[in-house]
Amino acid sequence: MNLIWKLLRRHISVGQLAGFFLADLVGTVIVLCGIQIYSDMAPMLSGSYGLLGNDYIVISKPVKQLGSLMGRSAAHFSESDIDDLKAQPFARNVGEFRSSQYGVYLGLPGVFATDMFFESVPDRFIDVTTDEWRFDLSKRDIPIILPRNYLNLYNFGFAQTKGLPQLSEGVSQSISFDIELSGSGRTEHFKGHVAGFSDRLNTVLVPESFMEWANDRFAPSKSALASRLIVEVENPADESIAAYLQQRGYEVENNAADNSKIGFLLKIVVSVVMAIGLIISLLAIYILTLSIYLLLQKNTDKLENLSLLGYSARRIAAPYSRLTVTLNVAIMLLAISAVYFVREAYMTRVAATLGGASQTGFLPTIIAGALLTAVVVTFDSIVIRRKINSIASKR
Amino acid sequence: MKLITLDSVVPEIFAKRKDLRSDIWLAPVTFERGKRYLVEAASGSGKSSLCSFLYGQRGDYRGRISFDGDDISRFGRGRWCDVRRRELSMLFQELRLFPELTAWENVQIKNRIENTQSDSTIESWFEALGIADKRKARVALMSYGQQQRVALMRALCQPFDFLLLDEPVSHLDEENGRLMCEIILQEASRRGAGIISTSIGRHLDMEYDKVLSL
Repeated sequence: MNLIWKLLRRHISVGQLAGFFLADLVGTVIVLCGIQIYSDMAPMLSGSYGLLGNDYIVISKPVKQLGSLMGRSAAHFSESDIDDLKAQPFARNVGEFRSSQYGVYLGLPGVFATDMFFESVPDRFIDVTTDEWRFDLSKRDIPIILPRNYLNLYNFGFAQTKGLPQLSEGVSQSISFDIELSGSGRTEHFKGHVAGFSDRLNTVLVPESFMEWANDRFAPSKSALASRLIVEVENPADESIAAYLQQRGYEVENNAADNSKIGFLLKIVVSVVMAIGLIISLLAIYILTLSIYLLLQKNTDKLENLSLLGYSARRIAAPYSRLTVTLNVAIMLLAISAVYFVREAYMTRVAATLGGASQTGFLPTIIAGALLTAVVVTFDSIVIRRKINSIASKR
Repeated sequence: MKLITLDSVVPEIFAKRKDLRSDIWLAPVTFERGKRYLVEAASGSGKSSLCSFLYGQRGDYRGRISFDGDDISRFGRGRWCDVRRRELSMLFQELRLFPELTAWENVQIKNRIENTQSDSTIESWFEALGIADKRKARVALMSYGQQQRVALMRALCQPFDFLLLDEPVSHLDEENGRLMCEIILQEASRRGAGIISTSIGRHLDMEYDKVLSL
């Protein structure tokens, strides 16, 4: 057996080390669980892997009664509003909704006819990919994108009560409407057809190029201010989105900003859990440090004699360093396997409830665990070396 | 290391004494490698202080001690570690053995640093010094005289240029002192090393090149 170890293992308190081992294990498991759960859950709230797939949010200003009664356009976004939004770090792109400033009358001969409106957004915000999304003046045919739930409204509400046939998406796209546009003293007739259905945009969309042309032609004197904005965001779970909207008093369509709020809550909960784990771990490391300090203190004579025999501080420290490394690595391996089983348990539930597997995998825990061990072992080594040096250099 | 020089060295606590009569304190002293010195001292004259200064354990002196011209007060931990491994060996008056280890382990804990002596050499020393049967006994259970012999063997388990012996035979009878002397001379001459031995009464029975009184 190593003589130095035989000499220095005296006074080692198994009770103290066991206490440290258990406490540090518990703390480490909590910290690593926090990290793993956060890295598993955060991607579910953001990006294209999102639960709701909400990379886009549509915002508007609240309609104030007095302003709208007096005919002022209080609910429109000004240039500075838009510039301010564009400058926000969470906003990747901002698009403006333009609405028709002229009369729209849409009908299917012999079936129905109704007053209508159009809106447009820049093409890159539209989630329908189709070759027909072009306005050709010579054909006088306007492609239209409808919200997917409009088709449901027609099929299950309107068609049944009126005794009309229910339509599939394919069939509905082959129907041609009559469209009448009027304004600025002129009336013109067009054809129109449904080019696709959108899950993202809850309005009757026409191509932006057509909107510009039509507004110019039928309402040249009116300025088309943006009534709503569509924002492509970096990360829907970014809590600064909810904070910004709250501060500016903007309203959000659907629950698109919920991810941001959930993301914020997730961060808070995980931070609290990790803080608790970290405090337990720190206390445990404090126990270990004290225990080793005590051990060194009790072995002062031996350490001094070893130093006088020509043993370097590094060699004297080696058994203690080896002890702390062994303990900490064992704790980390146990903690990582514990987190692995915890993760297996919750991921099967998550997959069963929400579908979709995590993209991040188990790596965050392993990296965090390795880092944590490295920090603790380095700290312990420094403490041990300093104590041994202070004993050895008694002159 | 070839030379140990003391230049006007005096322990701090003696600094104000006017009646100091000594061949060493406040005097120029040179110890040369290969020669044997006996430092005779009365109790309380600073014998153990001298050994502690030379071995780097204490620094509470005035004047200058140098090894081959290098001021030892400037030595760092690493340098002292080297000195104690390869240049200077010390037999402590208080022995500084590890009572929980056996006699054999106490010798080996030193020998393993530089692997200086073979097991058979150490075994032959145990035989020669008459404690072969105590090899596996814990040092705590041995008499002081036996411990003194273990400490000597340990001191010889390293390369050295000087061997510092602080009262090496205080608890030994004449016969054991003679046996010890033989081994010391043999090991010192094999290395061409110097011997500095202190004594307050009995001393190792060998020819000294110089006797200094402290």
